[in-house]
Amino acid sequence: MASQKPLLSRAVKLAAAYALALVATAFFAFPVFWMAGSSVKSELDISQYPPVWSFTPTFENYAKLASELDAFDAFVNSAVIVGLATTLAMVCGTMAAYALARFDVKGKEIIAFEVLSIRMLPPIVSVIPMFIIARALGIFDTYWLLAAAYGLAGLPFVVWVMRVFIQDIPQSIEEAAMIDGCSRFQTFWRVTLPLLLPGLAATMVIVFMFAWNEFLLASMLTSQNAKTLPVIAANAIKPKAIAWGLASAAGVVMSLPVVVLVLMMQRYLVRGLTLGAVKG
Amino acid sequence: MARSDTKTADKAQRAGEGRIAMLLLAPTMIVMTVVGLYPLLHSLYISLTNYNPTFGGGSSFVWFENYARAFSDPQFWNAVGLTLIFTAISVAASLVLAVALSVLFNQRHPGFVVLRTIILVPMLITPIAVGITWRVMMMPDLGVLNYLLGLIGIPPQLWASNASTALLSVILVDIWQWTPFMFLIVFAGISSLPKSPFEAAAIDGASPLRSFFSITLPMLKPVIVIATLLRIVDAFRTYDTVYIITRGGPDFSTDLVSVYLQRVNFRFFDLGYGSALSWLVLIIVLLVVLIFVRLTGFMKLVADKENR
Repeated sequence: MASQKPLLSRAVKLAAAYALALVATAFFAFPVFWMAGSSVKSELDISQYPPVWSFTPTFENYAKLASELDAFDAFVNSAVIVGLATTLAMVCGTMAAYALARFDVKGKEIIAFEVLSIRMLPPIVSVIPMFIIARALGIFDTYWLLAAAYGLAGLPFVVWVMRVFIQDIPQSIEEAAMIDGCSRFQTFWRVTLPLLLPGLAATMVIVFMFAWNEFLLASMLTSQNAKTLPVIAANAIKPKAIAWGLASAAGVVMSLPVVVLVLMMQRYLVRGLTLGAVKG
Repeated sequence: MARSDTKTADKAQRAGEGRIAMLLLAPTMIVMTVVGLYPLLHSLYISLTNYNPTFGGGSSFVWFENYARAFSDPQFWNAVGLTLIFTAISVAASLVLAVALSVLFNQRHPGFVVLRTIILVPMLITPIAVGITWRVMMMPDLGVLNYLLGLIGIPPQLWASNASTALLSVILVDIWQWTPFMFLIVFAGISSLPKSPFEAAAIDGASPLRSFFSITLPMLKPVIVIATLLRIVDAFRTYDTVYIITRGGPDFSTDLVSVYLQRVNFRFFDLGYGSALSWLVLIIVLLVVLIFVRLTGFMKLVADKENR
């Protein structure tokens, strides 16, 4: 009798924990489920009330993405812009991170905090000067403008996260290689860089995610040629005729690469998102 | 490359190393100056003019006229107020939820890892897609949310279509999307806490609630402070979801600063005024961050972390 009671209360607690966990998961998963569902509903099914839960899935919305929204061009634009931006941020940022982690640079904390302050800058603040400068230089509505803007936005992540990853590699390994006759560059290329690969991959995913999902700058600094996926997806929403199925399909196509890539890199996600401040 | 044979060799090497360091830092500094600092300074200059490209490009210097106009612009201060309310409620609610979820999932029952991973997904969805999905779900007549509320006997709501509930509706969307971000970070913090203080407290007969408030929360403070700071900065710039769901309406009830500034700049092309407002927004963000840093002793937390 005495041992029954704690057992029962433990069972109740366990059941409560599972119930709470399932309710929370349902809350966070339901809209994603609903978006995916809406994307494969026909126009008739999507405007039913009460909402239909079982229907014959159709891929007509996905087929219309290319024909009605120019989604293919936008996908290429997004890929090129995000690719350029990520490369810019990774190359510049990792070099700076190495300097900050390994050398005695005068005022290096000030430099580090200057880089960090980019993270605080609301994009709406720099959009007007970028708009004016870009029009003066003739790079408005080109890849270069957005690539530069996203590259800048990626820098604080790369510099701060890679600095922590580099500091985690014992300096003695590098010194050993240098005593064995490697130059600093050879040491970095052959010894440090291979050890940094997981960190580089994790950081790259973060930079990729922010650039890929960005809408504010993309919508104001492009008009025809350099429109990215979020911009054309927003175009599916017009005040009167809103193509919900089409918009949902665009949402799925846009979100899928980020979801897959980030969940693959989940282990380092915390460190990346907190700019190296919290270990995952 | 033997290290420090003589003192002079050592010095020479260090001088060379210093040059390498500057070379490594140069690309980052150049990008920051050209893409970051220069546009900011240019915008400071524009904010002192009445530049408006729709009036044929000419602009004249008006000194602080735009700033004076901003201080008596009720629309702007409405937007600032709404943004502060939006940020405060959204960040506070997602923090409380994230801590609760972290405690729950720290029990580590079978299957919890999978549920935890599913909960992360909202923060990865493109904000535009989040806006589209919630707008579909919140439609007053056809939306699934009113249908689900009906199942449990709650009358249908107008959600974002009504001025009195629109702000709460977009806050709900923000909480949904960004609680996972807070949860991810707080959970990482909670799972790396040492076990011994909790065992000692249990031996001393402390209740779970007591040990949560006296041990867990204080030990989590650095992690919570960092996550909250990042979240405040991001909530303040919210644009995408609100642009899709309400565009600032109805009746300006969700007119956050980013949405208002977009209108000033790209509907009225009042770029001089828009630039002045941008600088005021920048100053407000810095003030909010500064107050937060002061209140939480953020710098001390960072310094303690470095010394550890």
